Amino acid sequence: MRAAWLPKLGSQPLPPWISFQRQAPRRPDISLFGATQGFRRGAVVGTRRFATSSTRNGIAAPEISFELKDDQKGIPRYARVVPASPSYFTGKPDFTDNLLSLQELLRKHQTLPAAPPGQVPRIAWKTLAQYRLLVGEPVKASKYHKIILLLQRLNHIHPSLLPEEVKLAMAPYKRDINPHENVANQHTADRFGRVIGVGRRKSSTARVWLVEGDGEVLVNGRPLISTFPRVHDRESAIWALKATGRIDKYNVWALVEGGGTTGQAEALTLGVAKALLVHEPSLKPALRRAGCITRDPRRVERKKPGKLKARKMPAWVKR
Amino acid sequence: MILRQLVIRQGQRALIFPASQRWIRSLNTEIGKTDVTQKNKTHEVDLDCIGSQTDASATPIEKTEEPSVASAYKTWLNQRSTLGPHYEPHALVNRPPSPKDVTLELLMASQAHLGHATSLWKPQNQRYIFGIHQGIHIISLDITAAHLRRAAKVVEGVCERGGLVLFVGTREGQDRCVVNAAKLAGGCHLFERWIPGSITNGQQILGKCKMKVVDDLDNELEGYEEQLIDRPTLKPDLVICMNPLENYVLLHECGLNGIPTIGVIDTDADPTWVTYPIPANDDSLRCVNLIAGVLGKAGEEGQRRRRAMVLARGYTNQPSDEKTGDTSHRSAIAS
Repeated sequence: MRAAWLPKLGSQPLPPWISFQRQAPRRPDISLFGATQGFRRGAVVGTRRFATSSTRNGIAAPEISFELKDDQKGIPRYARVVPASPSYFTGKPDFTDNLLSLQELLRKHQTLPAAPPGQVPRIAWKTLAQYRLLVGEPVKASKYHKIILLLQRLNHIHPSLLPEEVKLAMAPYKRDINPHENVANQHTADRFGRVIGVGRRKSSTARVWLVEGDGEVLVNGRPLISTFPRVHDRESAIWALKATGRIDKYNVWALVEGGGTTGQAEALTLGVAKALLVHEPSLKPALRRAGCITRDPRRVERKKPGKLKARKMPAWVKR
Repeated sequence: MILRQLVIRQGQRALIFPASQRWIRSLNTEIGKTDVTQKNKTHEVDLDCIGSQTDASATPIEKTEEPSVASAYKTWLNQRSTLGPHYEPHALVNRPPSPKDVTLELLMASQAHLGHATSLWKPQNQRYIFGIHQGIHIISLDITAAHLRRAAKVVEGVCERGGLVLFVGTREGQDRCVVNAAKLAGGCHLFERWIPGSITNGQQILGKCKMKVVDDLDNELEGYEEQLIDRPTLKPDLVICMNPLENYVLLHECGLNGIPTIGVIDTDADPTWVTYPIPANDDSLRCVNLIAGVLGKAGEEGQRRRRAMVLARGYTNQPSDEKTGDTSHRSAIAS
């Protein structure tokens, strides 16, 4: 089988125009090795002699020589196909190997002291979808959760004693960008004592500059009373100051854009509250109780097909 | 009277224990004080801390230096006591006995003899049952040992001929012994659900799992990637099942494909489901650990003999040299 691709040479010498070039060693067909059932055909461990008389020796075909010829040196004489991973029959070999390697790592470093809960570094692990992309296997959420639990336990090892191999093992499961390292900028008062605060509500945006003063309010260059004709809107624009009794302590200069009057007024609430927090951080519980700190995430609900607006049904007609 | 008792009890307590840090801090008016003490916890050496140790009135407890976690752990590693002989639950998994070390005492110690309640039995198991004790069947351990050794021979023979052995244990807690046994025997493991059709419909289920081509010494051979693409998926050459009751589908598929199976057969399981039954208690983790470990060890021996044969003869696929009387491979195996 090995020499099947070699040209068969006759007894007569080659004509001078034929130059026989030795071919580069090719890979034989693995099916020839009987690799499907490796131990049945791939290996002959012992043979029995069935011939009883010595006369058959003359009839039988000449003995096969298993010695390697010179042009066959680069070719493997035996090959069999085996799974690339011992988890082949689980159907999810990469995932299973990951799980087992993490389990083994944890077993090895189980006795290392753990960091107290507050001092554990916060890490964002890959989401299920990202992990599925990584291994290319249909991993279930509950199975991936096992990996996450192992990673969290490994992450609880005290940072001063965390072994290097654990760090390396955890690295592929971390998200590329750690959202926990993203901290909001701290605003401070500028040299004039102004503090900027930005608030949003519906589709309005308000930028508010708050400075210590005697209660003047200018929104888009106009006084509050001409900006918001409704009393309720005027009240909610400076609700953060009113709820904490600071109306006559600060001056407000604000720019609002987008949306309607309600949205603009309540965007101002948030902006003023944020700026006020920079001046007086201890007011935070009071402002939270007054409902000035939370951003209201509600937006206009989309219109749906078959409806007149978001939810309004067309009038019922008999036919 | 009650008040007097309270003062006596609590007064003694108060005298014994020094004033706790918590309520001293509530009396303290300085805000920055606590920050300083917090800093001392993390940094070992703080000059302020040492300097202010003279006035013991303020914070007597936190002023003493605490060792860092790393140094404390190092001290613990050096000072911890060494244990005498004791029971190690995972010894059977990590250091399993070889088939020749299996004794009836070991089998009994690992609860291999305990069967199920007599009403749950399968009459096919009659020949494996020693008797009845307190309403449960007792498995005859000499038969267990004999069947275990026979199964070990089968595993060894399959591994010696380069076969693919699959260890299956899908019950809770069987994963570790199954994985370890597969590692020893150079085979595969399965500790979660068998996906039905992995053998009979392999291309659909295992089609994406990677394969590789190895030579007779298990070194990977390059250059076969193209041939591996449209190759049928692999089938195991021997399946060892620790809990046949839950894996009927697997055993049935093996039967359809002529794959021999070894199974731990409790008194409520059907021994005809597997080719080579091992009558033993499949509900005891210790027993399952023992059986998986012994079979894994047998597989390891088989692999070792196969490699030794390759090294002695050149490669495995060669007839023996009986004609020339060369028995060097025999001596290599025997050594």
